[in-house]
Amino acid sequence: MSAAISIQGVSKDFRIPGSKRRLRAVDNLNLEIERGSVFGLLGPNGSGKSTTIKMALGLVRPSQGKCEILGNSSLESSARKRIGYLPEAPCFQRFLTGRELLFYFGKLSGVKKTDLEDRVNSLLVRVGLEDAGDRRVGGYSKGMLQRIGLAQAMVGDPELFILDEPTAGVDPIGAADIAAIIREVREEGKTVLLCSHLLSKVETICDRAAIMVKGKLALEGSVESLTAATDFSSARIEGLSAEGRKQLETFAAEWHFDLSTPRRSLEELFLELAKGDGDLE
Amino acid sequence: MKLFLGMTGLAICALASSFLFREFNFGSSELKFIADFGFGGMTVFGSALAIIVTAQLLLGEIEHRTAMTLLAKPVYRSEFVLGKFLGVWVTVACFIGMLTLCLVLALWMRESSIRLDYPEEIEQGQSLVHYGGILWFSLAQVFRIGILCALVTLFSTYATSSIFAMVMGVLVWIVGQLQHVATEAGGVVENLVLKTIYSVMGYALPNFHLFDVGEGLAMGEALPISLVGKLLIYGVLYSVFYLAVATASFNRREL
Repeated sequence: MSAAISIQGVSKDFRIPGSKRRLRAVDNLNLEIERGSVFGLLGPNGSGKSTTIKMALGLVRPSQGKCEILGNSSLESSARKRIGYLPEAPCFQRFLTGRELLFYFGKLSGVKKTDLEDRVNSLLVRVGLEDAGDRRVGGYSKGMLQRIGLAQAMVGDPELFILDEPTAGVDPIGAADIAAIIREVREEGKTVLLCSHLLSKVETICDRAAIMVKGKLALEGSVESLTAATDFSSARIEGLSAEGRKQLETFAAEWHFDLSTPRRSLEELFLELAKGDGDLE
Repeated sequence: MKLFLGMTGLAICALASSFLFREFNFGSSELKFIADFGFGGMTVFGSALAIIVTAQLLLGEIEHRTAMTLLAKPVYRSEFVLGKFLGVWVTVACFIGMLTLCLVLALWMRESSIRLDYPEEIEQGQSLVHYGGILWFSLAQVFRIGILCALVTLFSTYATSSIFAMVMGVLVWIVGQLQHVATEAGGVVENLVLKTIYSVMGYALPNFHLFDVGEGLAMGEALPISLVGKLLIYGVLYSVFYLAVATASFNRREL
């Protein structure tokens, strides 16, 4: 079976306006994304992530090399029938309601009329917009736009999701919900290409990741292998008494290792407060 | 929608103002004066509506990045271009339809009052205005503006701002109105280079002047159906040609 996304020797040059020079946005990129995995594409601004995504979607033609989606050339319209795409900071037709927007994109994705109503209703529930479905998209907050954007990406029941910064502008609860949806999608055997600056999110969701720097692939591998520190070990001790700690500190001083108290992240704290009744455990 | 209503309101006001000017009709009959105002409103406001809406509709989708989400679906770019063109064309056709209705109503009201004022001068059953011809004329204008929509669609496929597409649309509209001058010049000029330039312009740009066929309609003269048929074919051929070039141009555009 072919890879979900296969990028072979792809380069992309853009002409600089008013100059004969060209800017190389992506340089000889080779990438294979296996089906059924969640793949994180990382990199600083201007590293070529968005151009790579646009080439995968056929919105931009590669200057060199070829790009295949689920075994078809990315430039073929039929290839896009099996893709759900959420752009960075999505913009939609402001005059449509959330429900109308999903109907519109559902029709464009070729969903049967008979299935569309049920699918739209279930998606609105799934992304948490069941109460806002009949409101105009123009009045949606950033987070709601991301949610409806995710729903429109899912409306055609695609095999491959390409999500560009899906949690940008979303509060931690929304981001956790989106992460949960991505996990569910993976469990359904679908592939997700995720582009994000929130490295902690990528680390928890993705199976594999690649880091692009200045248009080139700097590093690629499983998240575990990329984040493993080979010369480093840690131990976690719960319920340590004051005396026990004192002994451990003496031991640490002798053996030259650090002793620290683990902290919970602000995100964990926020989620605990917001999802509970305001009391911390 | 606001623009559509604004243009319709302006065009109807222009038509209504013809009633105020009927005492200063510059030698033409009153009915012809009203008809000329109506036809002028159709052409000028219809063309302005076509240029503005076409440029905004296509480039607006690109500037607001809604085109990216749309074209990431299994949609051919040719479908996108054709869909935008048809959307504008139908809007303009509605505009012309509404103006035609107003014009026919205005002419009928004035004709009725003239009949009451001069019952002996006008023969019973004789129509002062050829209403069927007005409908055919309006249909021809729909196709004339269709060509303009196709041209602005073409400019929008490679323009980076809607202002550029609008300015090009206005220029082409002016050149199209005067295109017959270039064709005539091509026949007179002896310099081969100039002759070639004029000939190419004559074929590449539409001659909008051909569609100005409403001269005698308010004086009871009919509009030959064969002429209307030729105008429709002319409009379809030019529109299809420009849309084909627009699709080819948009296929190469990077979003």
